[in-house]
Amino acid sequence: MLFNTPIFFAFLMVFLLFYGFVFLRHKPRIYFILVSSLVFYGTWNYRFIPLLVGSAVIDYFLAQAIDQSGTQSRKKQFLILSVIMNLGILALFKYADFAIQSVADFLGVLGYQADLGSLSWVLPVGISFYTFQSLSYTIDVYRGEMKARKGLAEFTTALAFFPQLVAGPILRAKDILPQFHKLPIPSWDMVKNGFLLITIGLFKKTIADLLAAPAATAFDGGAVSLLETWTGVLAFAGQIYGDFSGYSDMAIGIALLIGFKIPLNFRLPYFALSPVDFWKRWHISLSTWLRDYLYISLGGKHNRIRNVMITMLLGGLWHGAAWTFVAWGAFHGLIIIATHQLAQTQMFVGFAQSQQFFNKWFKWIITFYLVLIGWVLFRATGIDSAGDILAQMHGLADTLPESGSKALVTLGLVCFALFFMHIMDYFVLRKSQQLMMQWWLFWPLLIVIQALCLIVGKPSDAFIYFQF
Amino acid sequence: MTEMTTAEKKENRHIYGKTFLFILFGMTAALGLVKAFVFANDASRETILGRVLEAKSALPKIIAEPHDLVMVFGSSMVDAGFAPREFDQHLKDWGINNIKSFNFGFGGLNPYFQDILTRRVKEAFDANDRRLKLAVIEFNPFQTTITRHEGARSLEDSFLTMLGNDEEIIEILLDDPTRGIRLFNIKYLRDSISAEMITHYFGRALREPRKRTELERDKKRQERLREIGPLLNQAFEEEYPDFEDEEWSYAWQGGGTIAAERKPETLALFEEYYQLILDPARLDDDRLNRIHTADILEMRFSDELVEAFIRIVNQFKTFSDHVEVVMLPRNTDWINYTPEAQQRLNETVKRIEQATGLTINNHQDLPVIRPTMFSDTTHMNRYQGAATYTEYLAKQYRSLLNND
Repeated sequence: MLFNTPIFFAFLMVFLLFYGFVFLRHKPRIYFILVSSLVFYGTWNYRFIPLLVGSAVIDYFLAQAIDQSGTQSRKKQFLILSVIMNLGILALFKYADFAIQSVADFLGVLGYQADLGSLSWVLPVGISFYTFQSLSYTIDVYRGEMKARKGLAEFTTALAFFPQLVAGPILRAKDILPQFHKLPIPSWDMVKNGFLLITIGLFKKTIADLLAAPAATAFDGGAVSLLETWTGVLAFAGQIYGDFSGYSDMAIGIALLIGFKIPLNFRLPYFALSPVDFWKRWHISLSTWLRDYLYISLGGKHNRIRNVMITMLLGGLWHGAAWTFVAWGAFHGLIIIATHQLAQTQMFVGFAQSQQFFNKWFKWIITFYLVLIGWVLFRATGIDSAGDILAQMHGLADTLPESGSKALVTLGLVCFALFFMHIMDYFVLRKSQQLMMQWWLFWPLLIVIQALCLIVGKPSDAFIYFQF
Repeated sequence: MTEMTTAEKKENRHIYGKTFLFILFGMTAALGLVKAFVFANDASRETILGRVLEAKSALPKIIAEPHDLVMVFGSSMVDAGFAPREFDQHLKDWGINNIKSFNFGFGGLNPYFQDILTRRVKEAFDANDRRLKLAVIEFNPFQTTITRHEGARSLEDSFLTMLGNDEEIIEILLDDPTRGIRLFNIKYLRDSISAEMITHYFGRALREPRKRTELERDKKRQERLREIGPLLNQAFEEEYPDFEDEEWSYAWQGGGTIAAERKPETLALFEEYYQLILDPARLDDDRLNRIHTADILEMRFSDELVEAFIRIVNQFKTFSDHVEVVMLPRNTDWINYTPEAQQRLNETVKRIEQATGLTINNHQDLPVIRPTMFSDTTHMNRYQGAATYTEYLAKQYRSLLNND
């Protein structure tokens, strides 16, 4: 049940009807959100509902046990159990086949042909998101940053909360659980903001779907020209941004309609001026999770290079069980370290801190270029293919001759789409309050954007991040 | 855990009531804009599948005919290549008076869509306990290729809602609720015009252009064609003053005009017209277009479409006394398969024959049909090609249709 489909619209209307008018007491409301969320999840694959509920129940009781344990070592034991349980589930469903295949490939390199078989299990939708969310709860309780909550239903509902269940943002227990305890009534401003985010998200998703075709031309279509290669890479940058940030916006907007506040997950990422800055703007809920629960746990700045590399490698692997994701994570780790090290040198320290217009432009160009290189690793069907595309981008491999003005027009449209999505986000971030006050502009604008989304697009396309 | 006070409950209802109203109003307004856009672009069921829908709505009248019924079912090649009134006349000339034939050839429908249309035909015949005396079904290899199938993907949902019925959509809904609800949405809220269809249409401008012919168009021919066009239109208006703008005319039994109704000077004009349109540059460009859109020379077949075609034949068998499968004549000057394509075609024909228990009558290289009888690389012209082929079919099925 995708957010941009009529079936979800019908689901949301029924949900709002019952939530707003029928279930007005706290417990029935909690159970209603839970049942609705499980129905929503069940439409993907109902067989994985026990896995989701089971994870929640086990982590709920482990957090209770951590809270009530008298000694630090006892607390640690329960935390380790939670980590093993959550990461074990993730490893089993997501990484087992990758590991088996990698071992077989390695044996092959050594000259031993081994068929180790495979599990071929279906990946439960959203597993990477809800296991991280659940894990953050037990870690926070262990660290004493929050008390274990009473109320299994509330905790399970928060974990299964349908707007963010399948593709985030990854919520922190300390942010979301108090909201489930209170079940806030939305203000009209929240609802308007919700409508705005849903509409903008839908529009970004529509643009992302349109960008899928030029991206596929470069990544899946065989021989292309130099211009088409760049167009394809830029199109993928736009596609993944529109797709994922569009989904996040819709998730935040839907939550706002019922009074829940979910933090923003993207903040104009392609305007970043350094790789570190990029990760402060891209998939913020994941990058802050990795920072708070992995990077800091590893020791943070003490041994920065090692810790950044481990964090980024695992961050890459979180996205999918393939060497391309590992390479993508490693690449980002390397550029973060490299830019950090460069900024420390006497030659670049002034440049790194400079706020001059041209320096900022230069930093932006370099960062955006590096991010694009990263997307090639991310999107390519394999390491070899990524190498080919990178070589094509830089004129180091044979490309087809340019086909004519249509290729230029497509490149122009792709660049415009990328820029336009950021301009929309800029308005949402900076100008939405002013826009919402101009009702004569606000409502017609939303209606026209909704109509545009209904006119074009491919509603059957799934969201890219659902696979992660 | 905190419970709402009475005042909070009131506020809660107020907010959700307002939210609901704004959603309903907003979506209604947005859908209104969509409809206005579609209307402004003249996109509707009628402009897209007008001929098919008119033929479909004529089914009750066809079934009520007192005659024995013949239906020639297929693609635009049937539409162009079969003249039902001439067919009936040939039979009458041979003393077979109780036959009425219909042209059910439609452009733009691959076997997947034809299969859905066949269900509607079958339903109409079954509901009235009526049977076709003869069904002639065209197997069009060019409509059954992967390229053709892929090219029509974006039309699938729209065409499904135009040709399918609610029971079929409910069946889809039970299997895949997301798609089912989307189809109902397309059918009832978007007048069968899906977003994919619109995107596909406007996206044409951005797709890479196909290869064009390198041959030069004959300017003299073009000039003369420009002169003849208005003359032919004028002749039509004079000779058919009562013609209503129908794409599938019941009076013409789904076919077009026939030579017997035209004035000799009009037929002479047509003869000249047919010669002029056989400009090699035009035909070569048409051939390249067919290669681009239908893989017409290599013919890599779509399994799904071949299966759909088998279903069509097997459905017709249930309400027809006799079913014939034919491959219509091809323009051998322009359409010549590679050896691999011929091999693939032979295998596909064999597969269809095995699955249907019928032999496919290959009329692709009929000696009576010459390349000059075509109006392009695939379609026969009306007064030479269609007339000759119709007579050929009448001769073929004369003994079968003779009740005596």
